Amino acid sequence: MLIKSPRLLFLPLAVLVVCLGLTCLSWKHEHQVVDNALRAQFDYALREIVGQIEQRALAYEQTLRGLQGLFASNSLMNRQAVRDYVHTLQLDANFSGIQTIGVIKKVLPHEIAGHIAEMRRLGLAGYQIHPEGDRDFYAPVVQREPESSASLAALGLDTWADPVRRTAMEKARDSGMPALTGKVKLAVDHGEEVKPGFIMYLPIYEQGKPRDSQIDRRKHLIGWVYAAFFMGDFMASLYGSRPDDLFLEIYDDADPVKAALMYRSSSTADTPQIAETALTAREYMLVAGHTWTLMLRTKEAFLDRFGRNSASVIAVTGGGMSLLLSLLVWAMISGRSRALQLAEEMTEELRQMAQHDPLTGLPNRALFSHRVHHELAFARRYEGYFAMIFLDLDNFKPINDNHGHAVGDRVLQEVARRLKETVRASDTVGRIGGDEFVVLIPELTKAELAVGLAEKIRLAVRQPYRIDGIELSLSCSLGVAVYPEDGMDEISLSKAADEAMYRAKANGRDGVQIASRNESVTAL
Amino acid sequence: MIVRTFIQLWIVFGLTSMSLAAGLDCSRPYTLALHDHGLLYSADTDTGIDKDVADELIRRSGCKVTVSLMARARIWQLIESGALDFSLSGIANAERDKFAAFAWYFSNKYYLLVRKDAGVSSHIDFVQSGKLKLGVIRSFRYSESANRMVDQMHAANRINQSSGLAPLYQALMLNHIQGMIIEPFDYPTLDEKQIRDSTTIIEFNDPAVPHGLIMSKKALLPAEQEKWRALINGMHADGTMRRIFEKYFKPDLAAAMMDF
Repeated sequence: MLIKSPRLLFLPLAVLVVCLGLTCLSWKHEHQVVDNALRAQFDYALREIVGQIEQRALAYEQTLRGLQGLFASNSLMNRQAVRDYVHTLQLDANFSGIQTIGVIKKVLPHEIAGHIAEMRRLGLAGYQIHPEGDRDFYAPVVQREPESSASLAALGLDTWADPVRRTAMEKARDSGMPALTGKVKLAVDHGEEVKPGFIMYLPIYEQGKPRDSQIDRRKHLIGWVYAAFFMGDFMASLYGSRPDDLFLEIYDDADPVKAALMYRSSSTADTPQIAETALTAREYMLVAGHTWTLMLRTKEAFLDRFGRNSASVIAVTGGGMSLLLSLLVWAMISGRSRALQLAEEMTEELRQMAQHDPLTGLPNRALFSHRVHHELAFARRYEGYFAMIFLDLDNFKPINDNHGHAVGDRVLQEVARRLKETVRASDTVGRIGGDEFVVLIPELTKAELAVGLAEKIRLAVRQPYRIDGIELSLSCSLGVAVYPEDGMDEISLSKAADEAMYRAKANGRDGVQIASRNESVTAL
Repeated sequence: MIVRTFIQLWIVFGLTSMSLAAGLDCSRPYTLALHDHGLLYSADTDTGIDKDVADELIRRSGCKVTVSLMARARIWQLIESGALDFSLSGIANAERDKFAAFAWYFSNKYYLLVRKDAGVSSHIDFVQSGKLKLGVIRSFRYSESANRMVDQMHAANRINQSSGLAPLYQALMLNHIQGMIIEPFDYPTLDEKQIRDSTTIIEFNDPAVPHGLIMSKKALLPAEQEKWRALINGMHADGTMRRIFEKYFKPDLAAAMMDF
């Protein structure tokens, strides 16, 4: 019944809608804040990686510049000076990115014989320029440090013959700046699986000659120094830590195709961990004038680490709290309603108890009196008539004495039932004492009607009673008073009816007396 | 008499300019960084407007200045820290004004270079397309509308950054990005037939933005900045700056760039 009332449902629903709305707003706001924070963290990580690579490349460039500087006062063929320099560098774990540091000499076709002879004179007995063949420019590797049997074997390699190396060497020669190759297989890479590598070149010009213009630089170039790197080792040598919840790939040049892949932060098996909602970034960075494409993506763990879940927590908690709050409001409202109803029921019960006779359920004196007052007012206003009948059972006391109060009470209940059955629906039957009853007959057209009703009552009461197998007979004496003839108010009317009733008693009971006429209507 | 007065004036002005240059504190070597960007500077050829301006500035200052090449983002970092004294062709914003002073010597507008097949006719179309990507050089700022566009695109994760200009052209031709912001220094690259045929230039309706010598506030006291600014103004006043720009641009464009 409570739920059916739309008024009772409105407030909880309104609370639910408002709370859900607020939850939605805070969820959206949080989502935005988290997204921005994630974005900022991701941007920061990308910037860090780019910075670390740039710094590391610069450190290696400085190493090469040191070697370049060595040739300001030394011949390109001063092998011991180069060896000492590289030894001094102490290429320990910090520089593990560098595989080799080397020297390349520019050799023109007419200089080949002299060059080979000079190299052999320096102790490199089997020195040859390779690959073989007639070209108009040679750039053989003349020294490679740290020295090993593998590096010695590759001496004489004409780097100019490889287009990837040559492009970088030309760029270094023309600009006077360091230049980087694209992805290459290093000459010292003898593994079964080719490891991606790259080489950094710096040009060496003839000492004391101008190098301000490109023409000057081409003219006075005598060779290069270079450092060769395995990409994996280069990346491992970076300072700072890289978060393992980011997935990094580096590609040679600006087109990230498979063949150009230089580096991948984790194995291919890890790629499915990348979240569908991952943040991605592509950055083209220039390392010594050469383009690398960095592809950075977040893994699921990154999104979790920076609190992406807080928005969901807000959504779930907010939704739950909204529901709970609206239930609470509903419970409070319906509880109040239930209490009100209970109070109303109790009030009604109390009213019933205060106005009715508990044994027979008939109106008691107070209620009867109230109705009389009401009828009096009505009759006065419309100049109408009404009657009051007083009834007293004859010889009731012996029933109580002989058969007990239980039977007596049952008799009284039966009398009450018969009285109610006999009168009109608009009449009021009341019990005002032990065996005394009253009847109010409103809106009378003539006094005789009241007498007729009294007579009917008398006959009804006279009918035999059977209570718990006991046959009983009973009679009653009735007095009738009519407004306005017998009294203008309740007291006088009651008094008149009472006196008439006593007259009926005095006349031998079981009869009806009308107050004003002072006469017996019926007598046995 | 007239000749003598002229000679006196010449001596006075000559001495004034000499003393201005001499007023610079050359007791320590300075550092200046260039960045590889179209006609401003090409590392491949070691030539460009910034290189010429730097050479002339160094010559006039009489100071020892070490010139190096680095990424623009790195330049701004070092200018802020005070480890680098100068760079060239910088533009100001509120953030940079905190750590850098400027001596203006030219101004230019910014343009949006887009692929024809992107089907956009304004920078607003480009942003609203929802999927087109923009290539920008890390740390670069532009004119007002262009900055706004870059910020919107960045927030939408539709930016590919680069530390130089050349990869952006490559990415544009590979259709990995569909647009990039360019300046008049980038025109020669546009002359390459493949780029010219497949792109179109859209103007931002912003006024030209002044560019200048960037001076680190941490490295140079205001009085020193004023002296270096005077050198730049001197190059402007005697037509040296205009001659440098006319080496790279047609005279009318060079004249327009000098007008700020």
